Amino acid sequence: MAAAAVGQQPGPAHGSGPSISIPSLFTQPPVIRDELETDSSHLQDETVEECLPFLSGLEHDKVNAHGIPRLDRERHARFLRKQLGALPSAYVGADPSRPWIFYWCLNALSLLGEDVEPYRARLVETVRPMQNPTGGFGGGFGQASHLATTYAVVLSLALVGGEEAYDVVDRRSMWKWLCQLKQPDGGFQMAVGGEEDVRGAYCASVVISLLNLPLNLSPESPASAAGHTDLVSGLGEWVRLCQTYEGGVSAKHGVEAHGAYAFCALGCLSIIDSPHRSVRKYMDMPRLISWLSSRQYAPEGGFSGRTNKLVDGCYSHWVGGCWPLIEASLSGPTASPAGQPLQVTDEDDSLFSRNGLIRYILCCCQDMSKRGGMRDKPSKYSDAYHSCYVLSGLSSAQTKWRFVASRAHETLLGDDRWEASPHTSGVQIFDEDDRIATTHPVYAIPPHKVDAIRSYFLSKEGF
Amino acid sequence: MPPKAKAAAKAATSDSKAAPEATPETVGERSKQRFYQTNPVQKRFEEVGFPGLTPAEKKTYAHANLILPVANRLVSLSNKTDREYWKHVAKEGLPCRRLKNGYRWGEDKHGRDIGTYRLDELKKRTLSQARLTALDVLHRQFLARREAAAARGEGGEISPEELDEEKKRRKEMAELKRELYGEIPGPLASDPEWDDVAPIPQTEPEDALARIAYPDEYAEAVSYLRAVMAAEEYSPRCLRLTERVIAMNPAHYTVWLYRFKIVSALGLPVLDEIQWLNGVALDNLKNYQIWHHRQLLLDHHFAATLAADPDAAKQFAKSETDFISRILAEDTKNYHVWSYRQYLVTKLGYWSPFELATTQSMIEDDLRNNSAWSHRFFIVFSDPSVSTPGSAPTEHDPKVPDAIIDRETQYAKDKILLAPQNQSAWHYLRGVLVKGGRGLGTVSEFASQFFTDLGGEGESVRSSHALDLMSEVYHKQGDVEKARLCLQRLSDKWDPVREGYWKYRLAELK
Repeated sequence: MAAAAVGQQPGPAHGSGPSISIPSLFTQPPVIRDELETDSSHLQDETVEECLPFLSGLEHDKVNAHGIPRLDRERHARFLRKQLGALPSAYVGADPSRPWIFYWCLNALSLLGEDVEPYRARLVETVRPMQNPTGGFGGGFGQASHLATTYAVVLSLALVGGEEAYDVVDRRSMWKWLCQLKQPDGGFQMAVGGEEDVRGAYCASVVISLLNLPLNLSPESPASAAGHTDLVSGLGEWVRLCQTYEGGVSAKHGVEAHGAYAFCALGCLSIIDSPHRSVRKYMDMPRLISWLSSRQYAPEGGFSGRTNKLVDGCYSHWVGGCWPLIEASLSGPTASPAGQPLQVTDEDDSLFSRNGLIRYILCCCQDMSKRGGMRDKPSKYSDAYHSCYVLSGLSSAQTKWRFVASRAHETLLGDDRWEASPHTSGVQIFDEDDRIATTHPVYAIPPHKVDAIRSYFLSKEGF
Repeated sequence: MPPKAKAAAKAATSDSKAAPEATPETVGERSKQRFYQTNPVQKRFEEVGFPGLTPAEKKTYAHANLILPVANRLVSLSNKTDREYWKHVAKEGLPCRRLKNGYRWGEDKHGRDIGTYRLDELKKRTLSQARLTALDVLHRQFLARREAAAARGEGGEISPEELDEEKKRRKEMAELKRELYGEIPGPLASDPEWDDVAPIPQTEPEDALARIAYPDEYAEAVSYLRAVMAAEEYSPRCLRLTERVIAMNPAHYTVWLYRFKIVSALGLPVLDEIQWLNGVALDNLKNYQIWHHRQLLLDHHFAATLAADPDAAKQFAKSETDFISRILAEDTKNYHVWSYRQYLVTKLGYWSPFELATTQSMIEDDLRNNSAWSHRFFIVFSDPSVSTPGSAPTEHDPKVPDAIIDRETQYAKDKILLAPQNQSAWHYLRGVLVKGGRGLGTVSEFASQFFTDLGGEGESVRSSHALDLMSEVYHKQGDVEKARLCLQRLSDKWDPVREGYWKYRLAELK
């Protein structure tokens, strides 16, 4: 790729030109290295080797003064539109998770500034047969309802927006089904008879709060017998036990801390109550923040999902997306009493290296070949999943989120007010044109889409 | 329908004396030829028009065209003229049945016009059609016999030979249908065992989002799956169907949930199912549905057998951990496998020295295997004999004996000495101290050995985690300056990618 530019344009070869400056933090191996070699250290060294040429600009045709290539919006958008079209038979493994493809692609396209409303009619007709009369959506027609696919469908419908889309959901049966999934220990199963984990806690909270479902439990719920009276009772306590000795969060009690589950836990807690109350109530904050911070590596700049595992673009969201929730938990609601805008300081008080993450995303996670799309790391193929979560991470790294006002009443789940503004303090290493749309810190779709679906269902009384 | 040979032959003699016609190559050419053969003078007519015909040709043309109207009494002739007319017809050998022009033979499965077939190709196709028709007759007879046999009840069964024959027949029919019409009746539609099930196919709009071009066999199998799941059928054939679907798509969570229902409804031996599952797991290391299925089997097996039979439980735990070790040898940090392992230990109370030892050997194979460290923490601090049930991993548990805290602290320290920058061991050390209710100060001497002359000219740091820990120790001891120095050096030099975090910690010191 680099060779292609040579001879066509005169000028300094990239990397060697005096105009490009990249902090050595991102071009050199870490200063402390153990001598002991193990499988994990070999993999880690290989990953650094793999990323360095991309981080130093050698692998890119064109970089800016900070060594950063442009975000190739058109190429990535083309990749995503293609993923929403007809897929070859090799995609048969995605048959149970097609709703995820809708969400990943529609959300990523929205982040790139594309209008996804024209997909409304097609989405509506595609997801309609996926809804089961007993409530919830499966991965496809005739598949059991699953919280992950239901979450993905609901978010996709919110993304395309409009009553026609919202009205696809049968809220009464959805509520009944969620009551079935609610377990005596307070958590949620992913499907009837399926696994119980912290994804369930998050997906259920999102669905309940976006659709404004009643909170009371049906008498048939397995949780009713255990004395629970509503869908979220005992949920915070259940999530609390997912925090591990490392400070991170595991899928369920007793397992290893993992970035994706950390986001699910914080998202869930931030829905069932305002984060400055619930996250602080249920999480050991110092250990959690320490663990989240440890996920960021240099020279790569990106996040890993677990201790001693490799960086992966998707954790730009799973770990990167935790920071606005952590900041909100620490600061509490920040609206000034008179409703005046808060004073903006020039100092960058971010808890993580935004520029490190942005560097990893733009240098290592873009597939600059004809294929397009975003990826885990340079040696991996791009896909819809990584496109969505890498772009979500990019968005939150470029945005300053403020938790402005707490909900009026504790039963108004997810009713906190958040405000976004471009993050501008410190050095900006990316071109202003590459600033992408914002994504809601809790719901992971554009904030105005959250407002639209919530206000639609808030106006509904009963089912 | 081809015209009668006789008429064609005679017409040919009268029409094409000058140039004997070439033998047709394709079906379409032959149709054209026959059209002219049965329509005398037609070709000349097309070439020169009516006025250009000779008087004799005009007569023949007129006579030929009048045959049907006269025969049908659409033109009324006097008796004499009528007689005369038919005499001419007979004399000239005019064909009574005339083919129409531009006969359409239709298309084959590839969209090819059958008119372009060579004659031998058509013959072959016609024979195949005849064969299919014959087989269909036999197939219908089979269905009728089976129905009659079922109606007779006891003893009125179809013989295995007949069933075999029918299977063979369907296979041949499927091949013929594929060859002739491009229809692909899948293996299930061809299997008499599934005749009573009406498959429910996927119906989607043409422009559905992310529409997958399902392989035919998969599409067929899930169509039958939908039907039997809707009917809540739990039978051996359904078990085989789930196996079929899983082989094609192990990520299909619905089929796994259904499979478990079948296994429990039929009371199938759990160990057989586990045996089968092992093969699937080895082929699909990253799949997690497999491990949830295994967990359901464990619950089922426990309730039915293991709860009342401690020896069997122990044996089962042993064979399970053996298999888990096999999988973990290939994929040392597989989240779902470790997760199942924890479930297994809890369910069967397998808090054994053996479990600790196998985990320890995995840590020692790769000191940075954080999954193994996490498992160790779990088996040490969740063992109900030495811990408080429900105690959170992040809180002090007074029930854990000091000896265990000592042992685990020492274990972590030993491993830190081998690789001081390994965060897994440091996390473990902190976790143990929290469980034991011991302050970080109890390891300050240990942690201090990993850096020297902090802030001085000879500064050297072998572990950023030691600095991190010591900043907390100093802070707790009231030595804010030293705490600040640790954090400042982390931010400036030893772990600068986390600068924002270290600054936050610095701000918290005040």
